[in-house]
Amino acid sequence: MDMVATQWHEFPAIEVRGRIDSSTASDLQERLCALVRGGQAGLIVDLSQVAYLSSAGFRALLVAAKAGEDGGCHLALCGLNGEVRRLFTIGGFDEVFLIQSSREDCALQLRARLAAAPPQ
Amino acid sequence: MKKPENLLYGVNEIPPHSVTLLNAAQHVGVIAINLVYPLLIFRLAGVSTDAVIALLALGMAILGLATFLQSAPRGPVGSGYLCPSTFTATYMAPSLLAVKMGGLPLVFGMTMFAGLIESLLARALHRLRAFVPVELSGLVILLIGMTAALVGVRTLLGGSTQAPSGAEWTVAVLTLGVTIFLNIWGRGFARMLCALIGMAVGYIASAGFGLFPPADLDRLAEAPWIALPTLMHVSWSFDASLATAFAVAALAAAMKAVGTLTICQRTNDAAWVRPDSASNSKGVIADGLGSILSGLLGGVGINTGTPSVGLAAATGVASRRVGYAVGAVFLALALTPKVAAVLALMPRPVMGAALVFAACFILINGLQVITSRLLDSRRTLTIGLGLIAGVTVEVIPTIAAGSPAWFKPLIGSSLVFGTLAALALNLLFRIGVRQTVEMSLRADAHDAPKVEEFLRRNGARWGARPDIVNRAVFGAGQLIEAVIEHGHATGDLELQARFDEFDFDLRLSYQGSALEMPERRPSTQEIRDTDAGSMRLAGFLLRRNADRVRVEHQGPRVSIWFHFDH
Repeated sequence: MDMVATQWHEFPAIEVRGRIDSSTASDLQERLCALVRGGQAGLIVDLSQVAYLSSAGFRALLVAAKAGEDGGCHLALCGLNGEVRRLFTIGGFDEVFLIQSSREDCALQLRARLAAAPPQ
Repeated sequence: MKKPENLLYGVNEIPPHSVTLLNAAQHVGVIAINLVYPLLIFRLAGVSTDAVIALLALGMAILGLATFLQSAPRGPVGSGYLCPSTFTATYMAPSLLAVKMGGLPLVFGMTMFAGLIESLLARALHRLRAFVPVELSGLVILLIGMTAALVGVRTLLGGSTQAPSGAEWTVAVLTLGVTIFLNIWGRGFARMLCALIGMAVGYIASAGFGLFPPADLDRLAEAPWIALPTLMHVSWSFDASLATAFAVAALAAAMKAVGTLTICQRTNDAAWVRPDSASNSKGVIADGLGSILSGLLGGVGINTGTPSVGLAAATGVASRRVGYAVGAVFLALALTPKVAAVLALMPRPVMGAALVFAACFILINGLQVITSRLLDSRRTLTIGLGLIAGVTVEVIPTIAAGSPAWFKPLIGSSLVFGTLAALALNLLFRIGVRQTVEMSLRADAHDAPKVEEFLRRNGARWGARPDIVNRAVFGAGQLIEAVIEHGHATGDLELQARFDEFDFDLRLSYQGSALEMPERRPSTQEIRDTDAGSMRLAGFLLRRNADRVRVEHQGPRVSIWFHFDH
């Protein structure tokens, strides 16, 4: 699994590539937690290049989302394709995370959330 | 059955009369285009215009009666869905052979035979799946499309002796152009009835260019508004040498009927999981009886109309009552020779353009069905060589000339020869394909990509659906990961995969304890904060991923079995 950090407008974005399973999920969790605790108001996670996602990957995303929630940083996911989207649906995670089709839509949603509830 | 949100009137619901009649009229418009198939065969037979008018009137009666049969909700015949019958390109290839060999009586007699074969196949179709896999059905559709396209182009070009005039080219381009324009940029009714409107424009242009022979216009003027259809032009004959050609077309018609009826079921049921084989079987019997009736009354083979089913889904009106109305409208039209006369005069470029337009959709549908499965080299060669066999017959028609008399009907049609070649190759290439495969894994060295490669390679060899293979890849990967990660397994793990067209089964056995697979997902807090929550999430995902799950204990070994409906 590889992670490429970029910036999308005012928000940091991270593109995850490859397999997210028990051998790689802890790296993802660490990296995401570090980013959401970095004082940002939002983080975009692009999963369009993810080929496989197991329960360990979902746990990493949940831990990062909670860390962000505690630190005032919203997590937004995008690029869920085919098999990954199906797993979010059968796991009932499509209602747990903020999921958008593109990075642009993620940025719009994050701005809307920040406007509704600005950071203290 | 759970009614989908976008469906206004389900199969058992009764819409107001106005909605019923308006929808029935649209279906009749969509189906009427396919009267071009019997018209083409009647013209090739060289019968008089009067006979063509009489036979087309009977053709409309056939469509009415067959649609009633298909709509029947009870008894051993009829799917009970709104699935009107239509004349079809499926029987065009063998009908072209029959009309050359024995004229219309042979076409009618062999159509009855094909209908009988289709009815008999209805119950066996489910069992034939291993011998007629989905990609082979796709090849049959592709070859049907190719036949329709070539007949369309030949009709347009007038064969080798009669080159089209400038006026005919103009009419063809106008007919096809209007049809395509409305299909791509049109909306509502204009789009749904694009082919019918294109043909109407072609008729008007033909009249403007004076393409209708005066004698034919006299016949149109003389044709009565109301008269009973006559059977005086109908007789039957049978030729055993054409039996295989018509049986192949009957098999193709049965497969297409199953596909169309499955769309009906999905349109009516938001909770649809798999085809209703009882309804499909009764629908195929009705389809076969429809062709028997067609041969008996002087028509070519009929089949369930896919565009009509698409129309029902698009309008949200799938009520059976619309089917009855479609049947009644066609029976009424059968009593109106004036309408049959208008159809009988169809100019050659209009007919050619309509066939070419329809062929595009058949061809692409065939390609989509072929590529819906994973194809390894065996299946690629089966489809590739079958297609080459079919194309060869069309490109080098003299190939049939030197063959023995009994072989000529088999090699005389691209559909028949291509399908038979692919069926034979499919049987041959089954040699050496094991339906059950196994691999061993070490608990301390789990190689996930290797497991994925193993399942994808065998999935392609079996011609399994890509979505099912994806589910199997996730199931195997997640299960192995979970039992190793959470310390359930010690020693070697054995992974077994089995496939038989209907089922894709995975079984993982190992020494240790079973993984819990709960019905409900653990809470997000439980997943985040405890290893047990994460483990239970793995079990929950695995249960939801498969259609059925079973856990077996044999001494110290545990076997976890996943079943996927295929």
